Amino acid sequence: MVHSALESPTPIETETSRMGMYEEELKKFNWSLIALEVILFALGIWNLISATAVEDKSLGLYKTQLLWFGIGIILTAVILLVHYSIFSRLGYFLYFVNLLLLAAVLVVGRSSLGAKRWVGIGPFSIQPSEIMKLSMVVCLAKYFETDRTVGGFGFRDLLLPALLVLVPTGLIIVQPDLGTAMILVLTSATMIFFNRVKTRTMLILGMCFVVAAPIVYRFGLKPYQRQRLISFIDPMADPKGSGYNSIQSMIAIGSGQLVGKGYRKGTQSQLNFLPEHHTDFIFSVWGEERGFIGCIILIGLYLAFLLNGLGVAYQSHDKFGLLLALGIVTIFFWHVFINLGMVCGLLPIVGVPLPFMSYGGSSLLTSVICVAILTNIANKKFMF
Amino acid sequence: MAFLGQEEQIREFQERFKFLYFTVFIGLGLLIARLVYLQVLTGDKMRLYSEENRFKRVKIASPRGMLFDRKHRLLIDNRPAFDLEIIPQYLSESKQSKEVISLLSRIIQMPEAKIYEILAKAKNQPSFMPVKIKTDLSRDEVAVVESWRLDMPGVQVQEEIKRTNIYGDVASHLLGYIGEVNSTELPTLNKAGQRYALGDVIGKFGLEKELESTLRGVDGEKIVEVDALGRIKIGKEKSRVIDTHQEKLPVPGKNLILTIDQDLQLAAVEAFKDKIGSLVAVDPRNGEILAMISRPSFDPTEFSRGISPALWQKLLANENHPLRDKTLQDHYSPGSTFKVVTAIAGLEEGVIDERTTFKCTGSMRVGNRIYHCHSKRGHGDVNVVSALAQSCDVFFYRTAQALKSVDTIAMWAKHLGLAKKTGVNLAREVPGLMPTEEWKLRRFGQPWSAGETLLVGIGQSFVLTTGLQLANLYASIANGGTLYRPYLVKEIESYEGKVLKEFKPEVLDQTRLQPKTYQLIKQGLWGVVNNPTGTSYHQRLPGMDFVGKSGTVQVVRLSADKVYQKCDTMKFRDRHNAVFAGFAPAKDPVIAVAAIVEHGCGGSIAAAPIVRAVIKKYLETYYPDIYGEKILAARFKDQLKVPKIPKHTDDSDVVQVEEEDAAIKMRREQKPVAPLAPNLIGIEPGTVPKPAGADSESDSREEEE
Repeated sequence: MVHSALESPTPIETETSRMGMYEEELKKFNWSLIALEVILFALGIWNLISATAVEDKSLGLYKTQLLWFGIGIILTAVILLVHYSIFSRLGYFLYFVNLLLLAAVLVVGRSSLGAKRWVGIGPFSIQPSEIMKLSMVVCLAKYFETDRTVGGFGFRDLLLPALLVLVPTGLIIVQPDLGTAMILVLTSATMIFFNRVKTRTMLILGMCFVVAAPIVYRFGLKPYQRQRLISFIDPMADPKGSGYNSIQSMIAIGSGQLVGKGYRKGTQSQLNFLPEHHTDFIFSVWGEERGFIGCIILIGLYLAFLLNGLGVAYQSHDKFGLLLALGIVTIFFWHVFINLGMVCGLLPIVGVPLPFMSYGGSSLLTSVICVAILTNIANKKFMF
Repeated sequence: MAFLGQEEQIREFQERFKFLYFTVFIGLGLLIARLVYLQVLTGDKMRLYSEENRFKRVKIASPRGMLFDRKHRLLIDNRPAFDLEIIPQYLSESKQSKEVISLLSRIIQMPEAKIYEILAKAKNQPSFMPVKIKTDLSRDEVAVVESWRLDMPGVQVQEEIKRTNIYGDVASHLLGYIGEVNSTELPTLNKAGQRYALGDVIGKFGLEKELESTLRGVDGEKIVEVDALGRIKIGKEKSRVIDTHQEKLPVPGKNLILTIDQDLQLAAVEAFKDKIGSLVAVDPRNGEILAMISRPSFDPTEFSRGISPALWQKLLANENHPLRDKTLQDHYSPGSTFKVVTAIAGLEEGVIDERTTFKCTGSMRVGNRIYHCHSKRGHGDVNVVSALAQSCDVFFYRTAQALKSVDTIAMWAKHLGLAKKTGVNLAREVPGLMPTEEWKLRRFGQPWSAGETLLVGIGQSFVLTTGLQLANLYASIANGGTLYRPYLVKEIESYEGKVLKEFKPEVLDQTRLQPKTYQLIKQGLWGVVNNPTGTSYHQRLPGMDFVGKSGTVQVVRLSADKVYQKCDTMKFRDRHNAVFAGFAPAKDPVIAVAAIVEHGCGGSIAAAPIVRAVIKKYLETYYPDIYGEKILAARFKDQLKVPKIPKHTDDSDVVQVEEEDAAIKMRREQKPVAPLAPNLIGIEPGTVPKPAGADSESDSREEEE
C-alpha cells in the first residue's frame, strides 16, 4: 500500500512536464491573426443577420456563411500541420489548376446577375476568381523567390510575371468581374514593385497608363462600367439610376451619425434602399446601425490585422515566406481599402467584397486560408 | 527554408516595409477622414435624407356619417367587408402555387380557371400589388381562409368598409347610394373648394348626394414606412421603427337623424307586396316626411363598392324602373283625389255651399258633348259631402262650371301645394302641372275650352301631380290650409351623438281654409271611408277615424265600349292607375298619406289598403293609449272585422273622358328622368350603354301599347 503510494506520482509528473512542453510551444504560437479573424468574422455574422433579416429569400444566409467558416477552420488546421514551403513546391501547380477552373467558368459556369462567375463542384458553387487571388500571390512569391535580378526589373524581366498576371486577369474580365480583376492586378503590381522596378521602367509604364486610360475608357469598358465612373465623379447626375447605389450607401453610412441607429434599426438596409446590402455594401449596414464609433472599431480591427500581417512578413526569415505573407496582406489591404472607399463614395462602384464581413463562400474561404497561411508563416519563423 | 544569400535581400526588403506601413496608414486614414465627413459633419443631413426615404404620407379615410330614422334606428352603416386578395409575388415564390389555387378554389367556390384568368389580367401591374380575387367573403369563408393561411402563401383577406343599407331595398331612393369619384367629376368638384381625390367615395343619389358635405368627414393622414419599392411595412416591422405620434386622425362625418319612421316604411313595403308605385306619409302638423317609398326598388349596398355592369343593365332594363323615385320623379294624373281641390275652390269662392245640390243622372251635356259620371245610373241629388263620398263626377263638373275659370281652380291648387316643386331635399323632383288659360295658350297656341275646365274639376286633363305633392296636399287640407315644405332630415348629429343642427318646419303657404270649408271637406272625406255608400267603405278603420279619397285613372285612351270593361281583364299595361290619399284621425290629424299604385285598377282596392296599413301602424305605435289594438278591440267588438275587398271595381270612379288629344300627347311627353349612372366595375363613366328603348315612347306610362 505504502509502496504504491510512493510510486504513483511519477507518471503524473511526466505528464505534467510534457504538457508544459506543449504549453511552451502553444505560448509561443502566434494566435493574433486567427484571433482577429474570429473577432471580425463574429462581427460579420452579427451584422449579416441584421442585413438579411428582411427579405425571406436571404433569411438563412448567415448559416451558409457559418458553414463555410467551419470548412475554413478545418482547412486552417490542416494548413497549420504542414510547412508553408509546400506552397512553394505546389505554387505553379495551384496556379494552373486555378487557371483551368477559370477557363471552365467561361464554358460551364453558372450565371447570376448577368455575370458568369461560379462553377459547381458537387453541391457547392465556388468562385475560382476569388481563389485566384491567393494562387496568384503564391505563384508570384514562388517566381520571385529564385529571382536574382540586381538593381530592379527592366521590361524584359517583367515580361513573364506580366504574362502570369494578365492571363487570369483577362479570363476574369470577360466573366465579367472587374472588381476581382482589379484586386488581382493591384496585388500583383504591389508585389512586383516591392521587388523593385527600374525607375526608368516605372516612368515609361506610368506614361503608358496615362495614354492608355482614355483609350481603355472609350473602347475597353462596357457602357455600365463607364456609367459607374461618371456616377462616381458626379453621383447626382443620375440619382435614380447609376448613381443610386452610391448615394443610398452614403446616406446609410452618414445617417448612422456618431452612435448609429441601433441593431436591426437601419432603415436604409432594412427597407431595401441599400442595394446588395449583404454582399458588397455590407459596411453600409454596419455604418448605419453602429455609427462612427462602430466604424472606427471595425477599421481599427482591420488595421490591427494588416499591421500584424505585415509584421509576419517582416519577421519572415526566408524570401518565399516574406513575399507570400506580403502578398496575402496586400490582398486584404486592397479589399478593405477599395470596398470601404467604394461604399463611402471615395472610389467608383466595383464589386469587391469586404473580408469576413461580406456574404460569400469563396471569398470567405479564401480569406480564412490566407489567414491560416499567414499564421503558418508566423509560427515557422524560428525553425530556420 | 531560405536559400543562402537571401539574408541580404531580406534585409533590403525589410527596409522597404516602411513604405507599406505608410500606405496602410494613409489608406485607412483617408477612409476615416471620409467617415468623419459623412457621419460626423454631415450626419444630420444624411439622417434627414434617410427619413425622407422611408416615410410616406398616406390618407386614412374618414368614416362617412351614418343615417338613422326618427327613433335613432340605424338605416345606413359602415360595415366591414372582406375581400380575398392574392399577392402574385409571394404566390410565384412558393413552389406549390398550383396546390394553393386549387385549395383556394374549393374554399371560395370559384373555378380554378377563373382565378387564373383574374391573375392573368393583373399581369401588367407590379407583382407585389395585391390582386382582388373575390369581394364580400362570407364570415365562414373568411374563417376557413384564415385557418389555411399558412398553407396558402400570398393569399390574404383584406378588410374594407362597405356602406351598408341595413334594410336592403327599403327606401333606397330616398337614402340613395354612393360611388367613387371619377375623373370627369373631379375638376368641377374641386373647383367648389372641396378636396376630393380619385377613388374617394361620394354620394351619387338621394340623401347621400344631397347631404354629401355633411356626411363626408375629414380624412386623416398617417405617416407610414415604405421600402425601396414603396411597399408599406406591416406587422412587427412597423412597430419597431414607426413614429406613430405624427398621425392626424380622421374626423368622421356627421350623422343624420331622419324624419322617417322605419316601422312605417316596413309596413308600407309589406302592404305594397309586389305592386308598383309609391307611398308618401307626411306629418300635417309640420311637414316631416314619415315614410317615403318607391317600388320596385334596388339595394344600394350593391352600389357601394361599384355595381357590376350586369346588375346595372338588369336594373335599367326593368320596365318597372326600379331606379326611378316614383314619389317625386314621375308625374301622375291625380284623378278623383283632386276633387277636394275643386270642392275647396267652390266653397271658398262661394259658388257652392253646404246646401248646394246637383242632380246626377249619370252624365251631363255641355254644348254638343256629353260628360259621363262613373256611375251609369247616376247618383241622384248630391251635395258636396255626398259627392265626395261617392266621387260623383257630375257634381264636380257643375262646380267647375260654376267656378267659370280654370284659373280659380289652379290658384287653389297652388295654395295647397300642387303645380310647383315642394323643395324637399332630394334632387330631380318634377314640378307637377296645373293648367291655366294662359298656360294653354302659351303651350299649344290654342284658347282654353270650357269643357276642359270640367275635366280639370275631376282631376283629369292636363293636371299632373307627384306622389309627394299629393301627400302634402292632403296634409295641408288636414291641418286646415297651412302648407309646409316636406322635409326628411330632422337633426344633424356629430359622430359622438351631439345635436349640431335641428331642422324646423317651414311654412310655404298660409292661406287658411274657412272653418266651414274645412268641416265640409273632412265630412266628405270621412264619408268616403266610413259611410256605407262611400267608395272605400271596406277600408275603414273603426275608432281611428281614417278619412281619404280614392282615385282611379285610366292610362290609355279607351273607346266608349271599353270604358266599363272590367279592369282586371285588360292587359296589365292598360289597367288603370290606382290612387288614394287620406289622413287620420279626422279630428286632429297627425298623419297624411298618399299612395299611387300603377295599374292597380281601383284606388280603393289597390291603393287604399296600403294607406290604411301605414295609418294603422302609425296610430298604434304613437298613440297606443287611444288606438292600441286591445283598446280598440274592446270598443269596437263587432266592427273590427277584416275588411272585405270587393273583387271588381264596380264602385270605382273611372270616367269616360273625351280628352283633347293634346292632353294625352303631353302626358306622353313627360319623359322619365334618366337615372344617374353610378360607377360601374370596369366601365368608364359616359360609356354606360342605354337600356333598350330608354328613349322610345314605350317608356312613357300613359302610352297606348
